[in-house]
Amino acid sequence: MSEQFEPVIVGFLCNWCSYRAADLAGTARIKYAPSLRPIRVMCSGRVDPQFVLKAFINGADGVLIAGCHPGECHYLNGNIKTLRRFLLLKNTLSQWGIEDERVQLQWASASEGIILAERVNKMTEEIRALGPLRWYDKVLGGNGAVPIPVKEK
Amino acid sequence: MNDTKSPPTPKEKVGVYICHCGTNIAKVVDVVEVAKWAEKNPHVEISRENKFMCSSLGQELIEQDIKEKGLTRIVVASCSPHMHERTFRTATENGGLNPFLFEMANIREHDSWTTDDEEAATQKAKALVNGAIERVVHHQPLEHIPVEINPNTLIVGGGIAGITAALELADGGNQVYLVEKQPSIGGHMAQLDKTFPTLDCSACILTPKMSDVGNHPNIELMTYSEVESVDGFIGNFDVTVRKKTSSVNEKCTACSDCEEICPVIVSSEFDVGMGTRTAIYRPFPQAIPNTYTLSRTTDDSQCVAGCPIHQNAHGYISLIAEGKYEEAVKLIVEDNPLPGICGRACAHPCEDVCDRGKVDEPISIAFLKRFAMDKVGDYELLRPEKERKERVGIVGSGPSGLACAYDLRKNGYQVKIFEALPAAGGMLAVGIPEYRLQSAQLKKEIGKIKDIGVDIQLNTKVGEDITLEELEKQYDAVYIATGAHEERKIGIPGEDLAGVLSGIKFLRDVRLGNKVKLGDNVIVVGGGDSAIDTARTAKRLGVKNVTMVYRRSRKEMPADFDEIEEALQEGINIEFLTNPVEVKGKKTVEEVTLQRMELGTPDESGRRRPIPIEGSEFDVPCDNIIITIGQRPDIGSLKLKTKDWGGVEVDEVTLQTSKKKVFAGGDCVVGPDTIVGAMALGKTAAESIHRMFEKLDMYAGREKEGAYLSNIEVDISGREKAPRARIPTIPAKERSSFKEVNLGFTEEAAQQEANRCLHCSICCDCHLCTTVCEPDAIDYSMEDEIVDIDVGNIIIATGYELFDTRQIPQYGYGRLDNVFTSLEFERMVNASGPTEGKIVLRDFESAPESVAIVHCVGSRDENYHKYCSQVCCMYSLKFAHLVHERLPDAQVYNCYIDMRTPGKGYEEFYDRLLKEGTHFIRGKVAEVTDSARTQEEEGKLIVQVEDTLIGRQRRVPVDMVILSPAMEAQPDSKETSQLFKMGCDFDGFFIEKHPKLDPIATMTEGVFLAGACQGPKDVPDSVAQGAAAASRVASLISRGTVMMEPIRASIDAEACSGCKICNTMCPYNAIEFIEEDGVSHVITALCQGCGTCVAACPSGVITGAHFTNDQLISQIEGLLWDMRELEAVPAGKEEKR
Ligand code: FES
Repeated sequence: MSEQFEPVIVGFLCNWCSYRAADLAGTARIKYAPSLRPIRVMCSGRVDPQFVLKAFINGADGVLIAGCHPGECHYLNGNIKTLRRFLLLKNTLSQWGIEDERVQLQWASASEGIILAERVNKMTEEIRALGPLRWYDKVLGGNGAVPIPVKEK
Repeated sequence: MNDTKSPPTPKEKVGVYICHCGTNIAKVVDVVEVAKWAEKNPHVEISRENKFMCSSLGQELIEQDIKEKGLTRIVVASCSPHMHERTFRTATENGGLNPFLFEMANIREHDSWTTDDEEAATQKAKALVNGAIERVVHHQPLEHIPVEINPNTLIVGGGIAGITAALELADGGNQVYLVEKQPSIGGHMAQLDKTFPTLDCSACILTPKMSDVGNHPNIELMTYSEVESVDGFIGNFDVTVRKKTSSVNEKCTACSDCEEICPVIVSSEFDVGMGTRTAIYRPFPQAIPNTYTLSRTTDDSQCVAGCPIHQNAHGYISLIAEGKYEEAVKLIVEDNPLPGICGRACAHPCEDVCDRGKVDEPISIAFLKRFAMDKVGDYELLRPEKERKERVGIVGSGPSGLACAYDLRKNGYQVKIFEALPAAGGMLAVGIPEYRLQSAQLKKEIGKIKDIGVDIQLNTKVGEDITLEELEKQYDAVYIATGAHEERKIGIPGEDLAGVLSGIKFLRDVRLGNKVKLGDNVIVVGGGDSAIDTARTAKRLGVKNVTMVYRRSRKEMPADFDEIEEALQEGINIEFLTNPVEVKGKKTVEEVTLQRMELGTPDESGRRRPIPIEGSEFDVPCDNIIITIGQRPDIGSLKLKTKDWGGVEVDEVTLQTSKKKVFAGGDCVVGPDTIVGAMALGKTAAESIHRMFEKLDMYAGREKEGAYLSNIEVDISGREKAPRARIPTIPAKERSSFKEVNLGFTEEAAQQEANRCLHCSICCDCHLCTTVCEPDAIDYSMEDEIVDIDVGNIIIATGYELFDTRQIPQYGYGRLDNVFTSLEFERMVNASGPTEGKIVLRDFESAPESVAIVHCVGSRDENYHKYCSQVCCMYSLKFAHLVHERLPDAQVYNCYIDMRTPGKGYEEFYDRLLKEGTHFIRGKVAEVTDSARTQEEEGKLIVQVEDTLIGRQRRVPVDMVILSPAMEAQPDSKETSQLFKMGCDFDGFFIEKHPKLDPIATMTEGVFLAGACQGPKDVPDSVAQGAAAASRVASLISRGTVMMEPIRASIDAEACSGCKICNTMCPYNAIEFIEEDGVSHVITALCQGCGTCVAACPSGVITGAHFTNDQLISQIEGLLWDMRELEAVPAGKEEKR
């Protein structure tokens, strides 16, 4: 069996909808790609773009941000701000040559375990097709791009 | 505290505990390996694995290690934090650490349960554990925030679950607000007859509880109300409730006098269409609160909205249906000073929009008005309550002038009308032929207007006999409604020859008795109402051949459909798609050249444009040509500003002309229009003049003057067709005279026709009820009330809806008369129901000899609902029992998929039915049909079902079929869940906090669930959940405070640059800007801890407690422990993982 590339995806899941969706996917024993490594945040609005960059720098092949459906955010409209940041971030990343598929946004309510699982599967396949990210090569490598200063501890 | 400044923490001692969760985790994840591996992390002091970390042994292990090994941080890798975070925090605290120095890794729901790949699962578990370890070393001790609990509780939904919860809490001395959408509490249980398996009378056990609620000093009942918005959090919710107006105030004594007089009969929601109710009603006799509700909609019925003068057609139709003709006439003349005339000659735009037209044909609204007026004969217009001194002069006595005069006079103004012609009525007198509107009728109605004090001066042409300026001097306001009495010309050669007549002048001459001479062959050009009037008048004057020439086809012809029909019957020839191009003759007309047309693309009017066909011209000999292609006003002598085509220029809303005191309306402003259109402008002018005198705003709130489309929608499903009554006419033979052609309805026909009304707006605004209400409790002016309430907790008990069995057409509901739904049957067997407890077929007479009961309709069905509705088997058995009891000779068949009777006494009840002789057929019903294959099936409903116990298809002929539909979530459950921020599942049922361990609470603290809104449930389960929710709330109330998670944001004031970006981020306005310091500040009491501001702060100086940048970034690093080597991989080389 030839070694297949197994992507690693960091998932930011909001506590109220999408983290529970992932819980539900598990409770319902829905099988999906083991590529997702979830981090719980209270609201998708907490996802600072620098977290996404940090994940890429540290070797993640993709980042999935998941939150409640618009209108259902536990904090009224945090997810709307997420959406705005997400669009801006994607724009920036694509200018560095980072493919759109690597950072994705999914709305999933607490009952939508299946939707979240399917998204993880789809995203995994998309990234598998793209191959590893190679941040240091792509962003910091030969093309003269300047590394983004990331706030270190 | 600034994230970036938190000290490095190398000296933390972390204890790691990996849980097997029996085999739930250990089966897939190599827990021993993970534990061993974790130990290598420099932060880790000790790493263990354990069968069940959540057991007391597991927890004690943590406590012991903290004490003995001096641990400073704890990580448990097990299930979801939503499951056991609290358990382990407590253990951490018991060991002597701050509970927030703990972190959980979810390796069950997020890992072992999602994959069978052991290697990958173990790798992922390591990542999750490592993330938690790296995170936890940055944790800081935090204290819970105490929040005071407001002891008041909101309960939404007044079914049995809500009632139970309300009484439990109120009996404990707590204040409860119970909000119910319907006018009465009771919910579905109030509709049931008996409850299974004890066969208690449902009402008998429910109504005492209902009245307890009604009388309880601690319960504020808000029926006919809905929650509009919810703000705040556990302990302090801010709720706004809309109390819809019932138009009945607290003086109501429930005497039912109003119900007896109300003319509107609609089907009763409570009796699920098996019975009827009136517009003012009480859902059922034991209703709580015991008061009446007037069903009114937010807008008028389409007929009323679509009528330019908003004649209350719905009202008089309802009254006619009930034989209340006098009342109908009173109602009609409130809006309309020309009632009999409109009943005859109105273009009735109301009928075009009548919703009955969606079922079959519109109601014959105009002729019903005529019927009422003719039937009653005499009437009186409204007289002013007090006289006013202002004088208004009206120019023109047509419908517009008369309508304006009536409205002004009603208000007490002094009105005088000036008429140029020797007869009053404008076009009514000289434009509509006698056979359509008898002079006597007109005279009578104008007489009625004069009776109330309107003065009419004939033979006075303003502009010639008296100038407008003089009028302006003599009167405080002037309304110009001179109409459009000048025929337009076609513009073809020969149009000026003798024998070419103007239609409008022709009609006028005939009406006024002037001599008109016509030859044997007359051609009428045009296709409107006046073309038809002209043609039919010519015929009546003895002309042999009358031919109408119209340039479009019959479909586009604007004239009234019935009148075209009548004209054809009278022998008038109509040439469609034909247009005159030249009139020929020496001195007088000899022949006319006509040209054929074809239809092209539609023009602005939406009708297809006629295009001449080249070379299709042909000559027709004729003696006269009468042109009726449209009229225009003749107002040159008034010296007012006009538009290009000759109409007076006015303000579109107020109808004010270029002169402030002068208003204008009717045909002289808009061109030839209908009678009612002209009247509407008269009314608008009257309103403007009134506002001017009273110095009111001339524009405010006038959107609904004139015809508009109402926003109400009426459900026409299941309405039976009943064609519109035709108006009888005199035979075509007798139509050589000017006798009235239409005869009017008989009383029977009128009532039948009126009964076709759908009562779109339910209440018809006839106000009859107010005339009989002794305590004066009915108040049409009442408006919805918005009430703000403050509560600490909320219980949602909004119940369920029944599956609409029409969705399964093969079961025949709505198509086959004797297919009933369960709720219909419940109402039927109920002694106080529509059949007083008799089991009968849809004819309400014959008893069935055989009954089939179909289980699982819409439940356990991939196409509808996958779930089992839990109660259907039991109530289907109850139905079988009730049939046996009431009709001992009847055969009963229960067709079931599986018999589900799990409950106390349920299986015993099933056993009882087996003994009572019910036929049980195990199999899903395929179809219910009325097409018989054998003699025996003739006239029966045949239930086609596969009997899976004998392995055979069966056809069971029965008289009655009862469908047992699924329980489903309320159609608006999604909106409800958003309102209370709790989430609902795919089926629309609300999601509980935990399906096993906490079916009462929701994800939102302080919001609890009770009853079938959480999932299908029977009465005892709903009661249990209602009581449970109440006790949860009661315990919170008695505790007085809850401890909230200390997850809050804070701003480092020293480092804040004062950019204010965070101020706009906060959904709760919890961040304020302190001007004097130039920095932003978080108001902790308002902050809910979402962290959006933390993510947005460009200087990174906002800290989100327990979700700091440090913690999350370290977690990311830890999570990706196995990826770090990538940094070193040179470009192009394949890396290995
Ligand atoms: S809480 Fe889920 S997105 Fe805000």
